[in-house]
Amino acid sequence: MLATLVTAVTSGLNGALVRVEVDVSPGLPVCHIVGLPDAALSEARERVRAAIRNAGFVYPASRITVNLAPADRRKHGAAYDLAIAVGILVASEQIRIGGGAWALLGELSLDGTVRPVAGVLPMVATLARAGHRRVAVPAANVPEARLVDGVEVVALEGLDDAARLVAGPRGRRALAAVRRPSIGVSGPSRRALGDGSTDGDGREVTLVAGVDPVDLAEVHGQPFARWALEIALAGGHNLLMVGPPGAGKTLLARAIPGLLPPLDEAEALEVAVIASVAGLLGDGRRLARQRPFRAPHHTASYAALVGGGPRLLPGEVTMAHRGTLFLDELAEFDRGVLDALRQPLEEGSVVISRAAGQVRYPARIQLVAAMNPCRCGYFGDPERACRCAAGEPERYVRRVSGPLLDRLDLRVGLLRVRPRELLSGPPPEASALVAARVAVGRQRSRTRNGGRLNAELSGAEILRAAQPDAAARTRLADLAEVGHLSARSVHRLLRVARTIADLDGAEGVDEAAVLAAAGLGDPGADRLGSAFAA
Amino acid sequence: MVMELEERQAWVALASVEGVGGATLTRLVGQFSGARGVLEAAGSGRFARLASAGERGGRLAAQVIAGIEAVARDPRPALAAVERLGLWTLTPMDAGYPARFDVLGVLPAVLYGWGDPAALEPAVAVAIVGTRRPTPLGRALAARLARHLVGRSALIVSGLAIGIDGAAHAATLEAGGRTVAIIGASHAQPGPRAHRALVAAIVERGGAVVSEMAPGKALAKGMFPRRNRLLAALGDAVLVVEAPALSGAINTAHHALELGRPLFVAPGRPGDPTTAGCLRLLRETPARTLVGLSELDEDLDALGIGERHVVGAGATRNAVSTGLGEVERAVAGVIARAPGSLESIVARTDLAPAAVASAVTLLQMRGLVRLVDGALLPMGPLLDGV
Repeated sequence: MLATLVTAVTSGLNGALVRVEVDVSPGLPVCHIVGLPDAALSEARERVRAAIRNAGFVYPASRITVNLAPADRRKHGAAYDLAIAVGILVASEQIRIGGGAWALLGELSLDGTVRPVAGVLPMVATLARAGHRRVAVPAANVPEARLVDGVEVVALEGLDDAARLVAGPRGRRALAAVRRPSIGVSGPSRRALGDGSTDGDGREVTLVAGVDPVDLAEVHGQPFARWALEIALAGGHNLLMVGPPGAGKTLLARAIPGLLPPLDEAEALEVAVIASVAGLLGDGRRLARQRPFRAPHHTASYAALVGGGPRLLPGEVTMAHRGTLFLDELAEFDRGVLDALRQPLEEGSVVISRAAGQVRYPARIQLVAAMNPCRCGYFGDPERACRCAAGEPERYVRRVSGPLLDRLDLRVGLLRVRPRELLSGPPPEASALVAARVAVGRQRSRTRNGGRLNAELSGAEILRAAQPDAAARTRLADLAEVGHLSARSVHRLLRVARTIADLDGAEGVDEAAVLAAAGLGDPGADRLGSAFAA
Repeated sequence: MVMELEERQAWVALASVEGVGGATLTRLVGQFSGARGVLEAAGSGRFARLASAGERGGRLAAQVIAGIEAVARDPRPALAAVERLGLWTLTPMDAGYPARFDVLGVLPAVLYGWGDPAALEPAVAVAIVGTRRPTPLGRALAARLARHLVGRSALIVSGLAIGIDGAAHAATLEAGGRTVAIIGASHAQPGPRAHRALVAAIVERGGAVVSEMAPGKALAKGMFPRRNRLLAALGDAVLVVEAPALSGAINTAHHALELGRPLFVAPGRPGDPTTAGCLRLLRETPARTLVGLSELDEDLDALGIGERHVVGAGATRNAVSTGLGEVERAVAGVIARAPGSLESIVARTDLAPAAVASAVTLLQMRGLVRLVDGALLPMGPLLDGV
């Protein structure tokens, strides 16, 4: 007999409908899965056989053929286990479809319980678009599935839940008749869907686990870098911090999530979809409103940073979408990997092309990078001697390619903090105060620019938006001439100046804003090249 | 072939042979009555026997003899190499050969150079040397000294290395002075890559870039220490700014002491490796302490090295302050006192980062401040203080 069930596959951030057709017919007892399965999927037959038997059903001693249609689309993962198992139960006439058409998602464990899978959110969204509005998902995936409007979501704990659901009241009798006594499947579920909205410390648990940001009140010294960070966040400008170890580069970066305004509803959903595909969704039930902050290690591969692999999974640039990508030890990253960041920085999205297909992931990120001035970290330090050989500091900074440097609008140096400063002086400003100013600056920018930040404006747009006064225009012309600035550099300088003016609450860009912006692009200019040079 | 050569050309050709330096050349020229004589002998095959029979332990290595014989067969490649790089040459028999080198026991056989050979015979010359990895303070001091000495009409001599040397050359040009770089390698590898523009500027502004190495000679150990004796010899006085214990600058300083050139050493900080060599010189040798510009002037006056020209100092001071706001003047003052990175300037003032950043931009646009290796250095009139 033939059974057909509906499930879905992810492709990039989208899903596609997959029909699971199961045929059980007389013959030698074998199980074939056809329709371009990957290794994890081919192993489904072993999981399914064990799960069916341990859930108290009978694994038919017949010839079983499973077809995943459409046959030309590559399928991966274990999300089809459940549909295959239920299909076998139906095709072997252990249950009858009587509960209506349910789309099934879930991986099976050998004891018959259902395990959560990645990508449920986009898969459910796809099913809903295709008209399948009744979806059964693993209990842990329910919160994300519920984010899709107009879909009836049922939580599954075990294969028997799924069987009962598919059989419906009409098929129950058949189920009861066939089924042998259960051997303890229905113990306490491991992922009890209790309230689950707070963790042990009383903090709200969100779908995407947030990071605990550093409070700026804990970061001593660095008035210059703090100022630059505020501008970078208010305008969405990419930022490079150069300084010796222990200067507080990483601390400043880790304060970022606490300084940015929360995601709005639409952004939060985008972030949740990405997290779902990447398998990053946690136990929480509410959408996360904290902006993503991703800090991949400098040994990260191309696929890890940009995305790819056989399953074309999203990389760190995509997981940082609508948030911050922090690259610590920038010069230690592989140069090819770094250069791959140029497309996302320029276009706000990234295209991954492989034999398995082509996907486009969103990647609207703010890049924040940090590096030492040289390998030992003390080049240019007023008090500590640099241990690098002559010429080595120059080679070290050259490891970051020009085109990438070109996209780091703000470049600031940091000084080593002296212990004395840690103990004396006024307490540093807290994150809340800075966050409030950043929010106001971003709001001004978004209101004027039709919802975009200053860093996202094109050359023509920033010329209109900046509204430099006469003195600022003269100064800009001087700067362009003295520094041999290209048009692109002038635009970038204006974007930063515009943000400085926004933070000051000024209508237009004045001379002081232009000069200050130029100062921000310049530190270490002769080593890294000025951000505002040709 | 050899007969067509003038004695001077023969001399240059002979000096191009690997392993033939000033001492060997002088001995051979004496033995064979002239460079042409050497080449003629080498061309006729008598040379090997005669040269190896030379007294005073002067037996030539086989490959040196082979090299001389090769040049004797065809001296054109050696002469063409000099021409190809656009070099002038000076030999001790030329009138323009620097008289200051007379103090050297062994004269460089040939000086190769770009620029104006007359720059090697200035009325006053001072050498400024120091570490390749100076602190911003040291760099600013080198610039300040160079600028001040230009005011005394001195030619500034240095070694074209990164660091103190580069700062001294650059500040000299900035102040409108002339400067000579004596390089350790040949002109085929004229100093660090980062100083290419500096080489062009030195040549353009009436200075010279000089080496005693023929263009073909490969980099070898000992070239730079040998060069250091020329630095010391060409300077009427030698100034050392920041030098670690084991450094070329210390080597130059010892040459200066041996040659009887007045040596001025900027003291450093005890325990700081960057200036350890300076402190040791002050403790262990009769070097003079570089206290300040006016003390330096007094000492140079007493030694009869150059004269003070005080004209214009007040004028430049005014030029600095005109058009600068209060914040810019304050920031300029901080940078002039102790150069450093932008963030260190911010840390040393009570001004808002934005105000400091815009002030620094303005000062840079005016050429009063420049970024070198991440540190803001005072330039031009700002070096004299605000």
